[in-house]
Amino acid sequence: MGTENPGRPAYPGRPATTPFGAPPPPNVRPFSSTPPIPGSGPSTFRPTTAPPSQANTPFASSGPMAETEAPGFQPRPPSTFSNPSAAPPPALPSYGSPAPGARNFQRFSTPQFTQAPQGPPARPPTMGQAPFGTPPAALVPGAPPAFRPTANVPAVPMGLPPQRATYAPPGGSVPQLPSESVPSVPRPNFQQSYPAADPSVPTGRPTVPPLFPGYPNQRPHAPPPATLSQSPFAARPAGDVPAPVVASPFQTHQGGYVQPHTVPAPFGMPPRDPMQHSASGPPSNAMYGLMEDFNSLSIGSVPGSLDPGVDSKALPRPLDGDVEPTSFREMFPLNCHSRYLRLTTSAIPNSQSLISRWHLPLGAVVCPLAEVPEGEEVSIVNFASSGIIRCRRCRTYINPYVTFTDAGRKWRCNICSLLNDVPGDYYAPLDAMGKRVDFDQRPELAKGSVEFVAPTEYMVRPPMPPLYFFLIDVSVSAVRSGMIEVVAQTIRSCLDDLPGFPRTQIGFITYDSTIHFYNMKSSLTQPQMMVVSDLDDIFVPLPDDLLVNLSESKTVVETFLDSLPSMFQDNVNVESAFGPALKAALMVMSQLGGKLLIFQNTLPSLGVGRLKLRGDDVRVYGTDKEPALRTPEDPFYKQMAADLTKYQIGANVYAFSDRYTDIASIGTLAKYTGGQIYYYPAFQSASHKEKLRHELARDLTRETAWEAVMRIRCGKGIRFTSYHGNFMLRSTDLLALPSVDCDKAYAMQLSLEETLLTTQTVYFQVALLYTASCGERRIRVHTAAAPVVTDLGEMYRQADTGAVISLFTRLAIEKTLSHKLEDARTAVQQRIVKALREYRNLHSVQHRLGGRMIYPESLKYLPLYGLALCKSTALRGSYADASLDERSAAGFTMMALPVKKLLKLLYPNLLRIDEYLLKPSASAQDAESTMKARLPLTMDSLDSRGLYLFDDGFRFILWFGRMLSPEISQNLLGHDFAADLSRVAFSERDSEMSRKLCALLQKIRESDPSYYHLCHLVRQGEQPREAILIMSLVDDQIGGTSGYVDWIMQIHRQVQQNA
Amino acid sequence: MVSALILSVTFLIINILLFASTFYQVLILSDLEADYVNMYEAASQINRWILPEFVLQGVLTLLLLVTGHWIMFLISVPLTCYHVMLYIKKRHLIDVTEIFRVIGAEKKYRLVKLGLLSILFLCVIFRFLVLVTFYHSQYGELDIRSSILEF
Repeated sequence: MGTENPGRPAYPGRPATTPFGAPPPPNVRPFSSTPPIPGSGPSTFRPTTAPPSQANTPFASSGPMAETEAPGFQPRPPSTFSNPSAAPPPALPSYGSPAPGARNFQRFSTPQFTQAPQGPPARPPTMGQAPFGTPPAALVPGAPPAFRPTANVPAVPMGLPPQRATYAPPGGSVPQLPSESVPSVPRPNFQQSYPAADPSVPTGRPTVPPLFPGYPNQRPHAPPPATLSQSPFAARPAGDVPAPVVASPFQTHQGGYVQPHTVPAPFGMPPRDPMQHSASGPPSNAMYGLMEDFNSLSIGSVPGSLDPGVDSKALPRPLDGDVEPTSFREMFPLNCHSRYLRLTTSAIPNSQSLISRWHLPLGAVVCPLAEVPEGEEVSIVNFASSGIIRCRRCRTYINPYVTFTDAGRKWRCNICSLLNDVPGDYYAPLDAMGKRVDFDQRPELAKGSVEFVAPTEYMVRPPMPPLYFFLIDVSVSAVRSGMIEVVAQTIRSCLDDLPGFPRTQIGFITYDSTIHFYNMKSSLTQPQMMVVSDLDDIFVPLPDDLLVNLSESKTVVETFLDSLPSMFQDNVNVESAFGPALKAALMVMSQLGGKLLIFQNTLPSLGVGRLKLRGDDVRVYGTDKEPALRTPEDPFYKQMAADLTKYQIGANVYAFSDRYTDIASIGTLAKYTGGQIYYYPAFQSASHKEKLRHELARDLTRETAWEAVMRIRCGKGIRFTSYHGNFMLRSTDLLALPSVDCDKAYAMQLSLEETLLTTQTVYFQVALLYTASCGERRIRVHTAAAPVVTDLGEMYRQADTGAVISLFTRLAIEKTLSHKLEDARTAVQQRIVKALREYRNLHSVQHRLGGRMIYPESLKYLPLYGLALCKSTALRGSYADASLDERSAAGFTMMALPVKKLLKLLYPNLLRIDEYLLKPSASAQDAESTMKARLPLTMDSLDSRGLYLFDDGFRFILWFGRMLSPEISQNLLGHDFAADLSRVAFSERDSEMSRKLCALLQKIRESDPSYYHLCHLVRQGEQPREAILIMSLVDDQIGGTSGYVDWIMQIHRQVQQNA
Repeated sequence: MVSALILSVTFLIINILLFASTFYQVLILSDLEADYVNMYEAASQINRWILPEFVLQGVLTLLLLVTGHWIMFLISVPLTCYHVMLYIKKRHLIDVTEIFRVIGAEKKYRLVKLGLLSILFLCVIFRFLVLVTFYHSQYGELDIRSSILEF
């Protein structure tokens, strides 16, 4: 379809489906005012409605057109409604469509692109009137009439509303406004049949007016309301049917918390309409004022209402977990999946001024190796002979958005629009649509995510083998806690599963006050231990054989691991020469690089890099010196981190101590090498064994990309300016990632280089060049496109809360490194306030908002997640609320978490499970539904007769209500059920119920394997232990932090100041 | 009188050294931005010069104060204070792990420093010339070169 508009690269991939049954004539551009062709049927385009001058307001236009639209927006005075029949459209449409009376619906939606063709009005009339059923399609051959070339072209996203309607589920409740309505003939159905309906209408309406008093103003340019009232129906010039306006649509907005329709329009834009991209968006402001999908909360101001004015139950809560915006994907079906790349808003602003008014971060969160469900693996492409095809100038990899021209001999880069030659081997002719004939066989042209096999030009050295090096603390505390034993057993059990057989290399160093090297040459029967005690001048006692090939030396390695726990069981050394040991490890590994796993049990006390006990002085907290406690104390660690990265070594730190170990310093090693921190405070093998075992095993066996670098390219005019996460920048835009896997995500922020973007679409391409465990060098490429918009409302509509929060989190955590916690929290709150204020200003002109708090549907959870972020371990309270180590560890972890996991950590699942356990024959379905029934995180959700499961992705907390039937506790806890729960370990007992619970927990663990959920048991009222749960109840007001209601009130108050 | 001349020449030399060091650092940072050097090398190259530069700047300021060159002292004292502040906060060295995040700010800081140093340089040169002319007028037969060669 797109052939006619070669110029629009943006939508190359667009699916053939056009919303309109009959494609509009090719030449129809939005502006071109084709004279209406009444008889032509399908292609009735409306003449340009709005005079070009009025950019946004379609309405303004003269003549009949104006009227037409007007109805859509106008709120009708209540009176009008009362007598619907009175308001028949003045002029009947030339089409004989439904009886005039029938149309009294107000169309809120703009008539613009009609979707009518497609379809049948999916939804029954909103108001509950009787649906009518004639499918529009049948009636109207050329449904397309609706398609109006709107004057305001580019910016205005048009078409959405209609589309929505089309696709919308039939449910009457749908918030959507009746918009559909394009008057086009075809849609008789839409018009609710009025006559019958009439009576109902009036009754329904009365409420409306008060609620939306503001509507008249919606269209800024619209004629004064008075006029409107007269012309409820628009007379469509082109013979469209006039559409009466129904007030009813508004109802949806009433009520405290309105659920607006889902934002994104499924798609729908006529493929060739130049405005397409805009079309995909929701309606433009002016046009669709009423449609604006903002949500609102009535707060306080209603006279006579009780004080808080907010019903805490009505506040939006993400009980369905992370809901990804779908419109983006539907708009650009060739984009990579959102698990790889999420933009904070999928509508890119076209000017600096728009950016400055969008107070949220503008950027992306990238998880290049995200885990994929079975069957959706990224396809691997090998261009052996022709080499990887890239743009000559900007080095973009070939992707689905490039366009082929010149009969297939050239291709145009979608990012810099340079014409490149197609290599002979890669040539394929084009079909009539301008698509390559081999399109289907080429994953790189058909999918947003592909992996190229990289030839030797992409290697500076032969691909490295997977290499695991273990640096294990064997001082007395490590021995006593049982850590060594668990680690040794786990490593041994994973030996067969390490990726990259048979090239995998492995090595060990242990240390206390001396450093122990192990020669594991395959010819030996037993490993040889060499001790180096000169910590000031570290040397490596053997040139080779400290790192050995696992497949050759497997027996030696196994012997070593078997004997490791016993070798040190009598060790009473309390010192830890961590710094020198680290240097030694670096020397051993520097030839190859690889993954360094550090098991640290105490504060490094000897040699270079020794650390002091910091943070004992309570007076420091709250002063300017406080942030220094969260940054590495000794520059040694940063320097080492830089060196590790230089030699392609990624460090993962496992810390176990119950005392201060200065995670802030040690964690730096992981932070700058793309690694991860695992923190097990007060590790005891009895209780934490499973957790360590699971997480270490996952670390060892998950698919890992070695010696990787990542770059994200984007179209001309925009630029990624800052990057946030665990990695080191190797150049202004190149992320060095010595080892990377599916549990790591990186965030970045965009800025505009030019003052005005002239393109209609921008493209992003993430390229990760890495060595796979199998020894192949590969490039994983994810490509995505996003429309450029000129309208702030559109940006808000297309916002992605998950990505926004992910960036907020990273920015806030970075801020804690140089500012007080309080400042970081205030900054989060301020940005939310500013964003909502801007949004409010956007609408306050058109609507009388009164005391309502309004926010876009897409960001309805933003305040809650913001609150949860402020209460997260990394940011909450002051020094007493979380130990320094815990805070640092949480900070490092959150910096690397992919969006979904982060959201779950911020707003965990709370499930009631006693009913499920009691049900005699519970099926898998019951388990499923139990897992879905998430509760708000507040004390009120906890019934003392119930058993609750709290799951934040890292741990489970089982909460036993005080009045829970003893039968359940006995079944689950055996004889310990009456004991102090802090001493009871949860394990499977011999009872049906216990097995059921374990199966349930197991199921949850499997669905989220990146961390092991350690199970904590808590009984209601058992202090202070219950605090671990209470602290996590985000919605409640705990110890000086605000609860959800207060938070909303605070935000609302601040939004209104200088609003 | 000769001591004044010697002093003024000393200022000139110190100033040129400071200028050269700062300029070199800016150069390295630009190279780094353009990817001509890698960050490890760049950081070590720059860090090598930072402490000597701080010391030199301190010496210069002290000399200016002791010898009562108030105006020049006032020009150079803010920079010295800033150095001291950086040193105390341990932020004086370039952090290789964060170098690309701070490269813009570091470059700007050094450019400002270059500006200050060039103002100082003008003063020093001016003073030097005044001295020389003074010599010249006093002992007409003495030319500049010989007065410099004197020491």
